Formats: sequence, C-alpha cells, structure tokens
Amino acid sequence: MLSVAALVLLGACDRGAERSGGAGGGKSITVVIAEYSKDHTKSFWQGLSDQYTKQAGVKVDLRIVDWNSIDQQVSTMIQNNQPPDVLNLNSFSSYAKDQLLYSADEVLSPKTRGDFIESFARGGEYQGKLYGFPILSSARAFFYNTDLFARAGLAGPPKTWDEFVQAARKIQGLGSGVIGYALPLGPEEAQAEWAIWMWNNGGDWKSGDAWAINSDKNVQTLRFLADLANRHRVTQINPGKTNRTDGAFQLFKDGKVGMVMGFSPLAAQLDAEKKVSYGVAEMPTAVGQAVTLGVEDYLMAFKKGGNQDAVKQFLDLYYQPENITRWITAEGFLPVTRSGLSQMSSNAKLKPYLDALPNARLAPTTDPAWDRVKLDVQQTIGLAVQPGGNPKQVLDQLQKNAVAAAGSR
Amino acid sequence: MGHWPALLWLGPSLALIAAVVVYPVAALVRASLSRYSITGLYQGSVGASNYTRLLEQEALVTVVANTLIWVVAIVVVTIAASLGIAQLLNEEFPGRRLVRWALIVPWAASLIMTSKLFVWLYDYYFGLLNQVLTSLRLLAAPVDWLGDDATVMGAMIVVGIFVSVPFTTYVVLAGLSAIPGDVYEAARVDGASAWRTYRSVTLPLLRPALLVAVVLNVIYVFNSFPIVWTLNDRNPGFAHDTMITYMYKIAFKSALRDVGLAAALGVVNVLVILLAVIVYLRTVSWREAEA
Repeated sequence: MLSVAALVLLGACDRGAERSGGAGGGKSITVVIAEYSKDHTKSFWQGLSDQYTKQAGVKVDLRIVDWNSIDQQVSTMIQNNQPPDVLNLNSFSSYAKDQLLYSADEVLSPKTRGDFIESFARGGEYQGKLYGFPILSSARAFFYNTDLFARAGLAGPPKTWDEFVQAARKIQGLGSGVIGYALPLGPEEAQAEWAIWMWNNGGDWKSGDAWAINSDKNVQTLRFLADLANRHRVTQINPGKTNRTDGAFQLFKDGKVGMVMGFSPLAAQLDAEKKVSYGVAEMPTAVGQAVTLGVEDYLMAFKKGGNQDAVKQFLDLYYQPENITRWITAEGFLPVTRSGLSQMSSNAKLKPYLDALPNARLAPTTDPAWDRVKLDVQQTIGLAVQPGGNPKQVLDQLQKNAVAAAGSR
Repeated sequence: MGHWPALLWLGPSLALIAAVVVYPVAALVRASLSRYSITGLYQGSVGASNYTRLLEQEALVTVVANTLIWVVAIVVVTIAASLGIAQLLNEEFPGRRLVRWALIVPWAASLIMTSKLFVWLYDYYFGLLNQVLTSLRLLAAPVDWLGDDATVMGAMIVVGIFVSVPFTTYVVLAGLSAIPGDVYEAARVDGASAWRTYRSVTLPLLRPALLVAVVLNVIYVFNSFPIVWTLNDRNPGFAHDTMITYMYKIAFKSALRDVGLAAALGVVNVLVILLAVIVYLRTVSWREAEA
C-alpha cells in the first residue's frame, strides 16, 4: 500500500499536463495553511474564506495541512504544476528564488505593507523585495520549575552560563530522577535550540554574507552543550536524540525537569494541566545581553495566470487588523503588525514574550541556502553531544555543506 | 470472433492496473531521470546522474544493511512464531474463538497508532518496559531503547514482528485446515511420532501457504514505513533508516531535499523487491522439482 502511495507521491510530475485550471478564470483559489492547533486554525481560516467568497465572489479551496507533511504536500503540488495560490509556511526564499511568487508591490495594498513591523518585513525579503509576508511570530523564553528551584535552594533563574551550570547541577543533585536541563537536539527542532545557545555566546550563523557555522565561538558553544550532557551530566539521557514536543516538553510538563527553553504554547499547556508551577525568564547568556529566538512564519502568493486580483483581495482581508489579531491571539502567538502589537501589548500573559521580542533574532530564512542548512543541522547536530561525538567535526561538515548549498542553484 | 470478448472482460482490471501500477512506475522512472529544485520545481532532464549520485551517498551502505536485517529478522521470526501459534489455534480448546479474535487486533489497528503505543512502552522515563524489567531485576538500570544505537533496530523489529504475526498466522491456519484428516490417520497407522508427522506430513503440505506468507511478508516488511518512521524519529542522521524511510528523508527531510534522487532510490527499491521475490520463488520451485 505505502509503496504505491510513495510511488505516486514521488513520481507524479506531470510537466505535460495542462496548467491548473484552478484560478485561471478567477473562479476559485487554493489556500494552504499549516495547522497550528486543532482548535483554532481550521475554524478561523474557514470563517475567513467564507467571508472572502461572499465579498469577492471567488471560491476558496482551503487545505489545512499538518506540519509533518506540509513540505511534502507543497512539493508535490509544485511538481504537478498545480501550486497553491496562497501558501503559509516557515520558509519562503527558495520559492522566491524559483520565481514562483508575487512580491508585495503586486499583491499587498500600501496600507497593509506599511503595517508590518519592520524587522519582520526585512525577514521576508529576497534580493531587496518582500516576498514572504509575515503571518505571525513567536519568541522562545526560558522556563524554570519554581518548586524544584526552591527545593534546590535557588533564589531565581540563572542569568549567566556559569549560574546556569550551577543551577542545573543543584537540581540534578536533588536525585530521584530529577533532571537539571532538558536539552532537545533531536531532528525535530535542533536548529532552534542550537541557535539560542549560539547567539548567547556571541556566535552566529553567518558573518556578513558568508556562512560561519564552524566559528571558534560556535565550536566552544557546542562543546559547552556536549559537556552539559557528558561531563556535568545535568541533561536527560541522549539529548542528541530527544525531540522537543514529545521529549523535552513532556519531561518538563511532568515536573521532572528544572529548566527548558519553551514558548507560549507550552505555557498554555502548563496552565491547562496545572501540574507544574513555573516561571518564565530571559535566556542565560555568556555575553551580557540575553538573546532569544524569534520565529516568523510567512504567507506567500504564487504567480498564476489571472489570479492576482483574487489573491490580493484575500491577503488584504487577512491583514485587516481585527482578523489577523483575532487569529494570532487565539493561537497564542505574537503579532507581526504595528496595529497588532499595540492591541496585544495589554495582555499580561504575553508580556515576557513581547518584552523579549526586541532582542529576538530570526533564523537566516532570507537566504535560500538556509532551507538546506536547517535540515542539515536537524539531522546532524545531535550527534555532536552524544558520548564520543566531535563538535568541531560536526560544525566543520555543516559549514562545508552550507557553503556548497549557497553555491548551488 | 478473436480476442475482443476476452479483452472486454479483462478491460476493467487492465485499466485499474494501468492506473495504479503502470502510470506511477512510469512517472517514477521519469522523475528519477529529472532534476528538481528544492521547492519541487522541474528543472529538466539529467539522464542517469541521479543513479550515480545515489551510489555516492555515504549512508547507502548502512541503509542497505539495515534493510536486510529488518526484512530477514522480521520475516524469519514471524514465520516461525506463526507456525507455532497457528498450530495452537488449530486445536480445539475452550475460548479458541476469543483467542482467534484477539489475534486480529494488532493487525486491524493502524500502524501509526501501534507504533506510537510502542514509543511509550519503550520510553526511558515513562515506559512500562523499563519499569517491568527493572522491578523484576532483569535489568539493573533502565535502557533508552529507542535512543541507544545498540537497541533501536531490535526494538523496531519487535514491533514489525508484532504487526506481521496475525496475518501470517491466519495464512498458516488456512493452510492447516486445508490438510485432509486422512493423511494424519495414515501417519498414525504407520506409527509416526508427533514430531515425525509434523515434519513429514504437515510442513510439506503447508508449503503453498508458507510460500504465500513469505512472499507477501517480504514485500510488506520491505515497504513498511510507519514503524521505522515513528520509532526512529528522534534519531539524527540515517544510522537506523531502511531504504524506504531513507527515500523519504532524501526527498523531504534531509539537506539533500531532492525529489529526483529519491525517485531514483524508489526505482531501485522496486527492482530490489522484484528481484528478491523472483530469486526466492525460483529457489523454492527448484527445490520442489528436486525433491
């Protein structure tokens, strides 16, 4: 069964097929949205689509796709020469590079364009033009278990890396299976965990326009993480083989872990379960100013004959302040527009994340090579923190592959 | 008259075969000869270069070895276990119907659900397996079954066997009930021991059923995706992938992100399984002719 499915999936590339009739006549558009939550994503976008159809007279073929299979499904659509009209994803620049997208000038009204928070607008630019329209953002924060901190005699969350190691050792020292810090470097989101540690040691993905993954700073950072696992032994077992959602978060939600890097959806789950009392703080840093990871997801509009007006109307409807803010609030994420920021800043729950936003850095999503570098980091960096792993060698290889990816088509 | 009436009758199934077998294979072969950008955009034909690049992949040797272990271990143990279980279920005993029904459950449950269940059973911190084994003092300390390189493949194989046994048992059971009672009677009259009867009467008469069971299991296990995908998702790299999960990773989850290269592996996969089945059937029928 599966082999047949895989065959169809991998093989279905019909160049000769007629161009998708979908939006050709302006009668319908295909909108692909990633599923952020079971509760809110579908209901919001269905409502928006209905409203749009009523206003514009254009039907919407709405597809809500889970994150695990969205890359595959979008790739298949493009292979079949039937790209969506509007797509929501966590990357955009490869699509811009392949010249599949409309730029902001073509499909956004000046008012919508002007409402974007500048750093997020810059995060959606490819070669000086805006192609990846910010749809929502999030920021990571440092979560700590206040009960375990009290039992270990710790006054507050660690501010420096030295304090962090001390805190982790004291918590681990409580015994009976308690873990100092849950470090998820498995394939699910390793690049996010890594980036936060990297930045808080003064390193970065790139130096200027060139990749700098194996800089001395970064080698030092990865050695520090390997030491947490193998020398200080303050992490869960096999951190290089632990994913975030069902690994690190699960342990923290169970009260087994002192510290973890989380984000607002984790806070929502903790609040709902009421099992663990926790605090949220800035990341511990080795360089004075705490840095966190901001994540920006995108909306893209695909160039297809005759769909420009239909797509423009759809995007303008989503970016009306009441629509975008209603959805972002429901999903528990952070705003990407000035109007959204001013509306949401009164929400006390979001304060730690909104405070962190000015010092949040984004992944280099504007570089098409990032789409490969990210996957490479996910599949390899965990190996560096396993017993016998070699941080320098892993980073050297990542650097080599990144340079090659940057040079390739 | 000619062949027309025959074609008319065959038409629907031929159309079905064309749609679900011939078309995907043709599309797969064509994709394997093409280049795609990371987005999936077709960028032209590249001849056989995807195949030569496939051979250059460092992980390939590991992946092929994994696949061999995965298929052989599961099929051998599954057949052996199913022979025993089927024999048991062929006997009359109270509650037989219930046991037969219970056996269907792992077969009927979705593979993803079963795999997720085993992920939790194997879990280092929350898993039942470690709790049981340590409290029985069979293990001194818990084991990270899905994270430790030494145990991952074994842990996945156990799940593979668990989901393959029901179907195989039913195939063997059907074979057993097709054996006429008078041959057993003849064996008894000749004074054959139970073991001798099993070896000389039951097993030879089960041959057609076993043939079917082995061929179907080899294909099914080789192509199995959800178990390896779910139990191995925490492990970086390709150290525990089979050719099927590796194909998916090449296409969508590794830095390669290359649909053309993945399609080349897809073609190789189809050829490998075809070849394996042909060689197996040849060997078996050759032995049959000799016997």
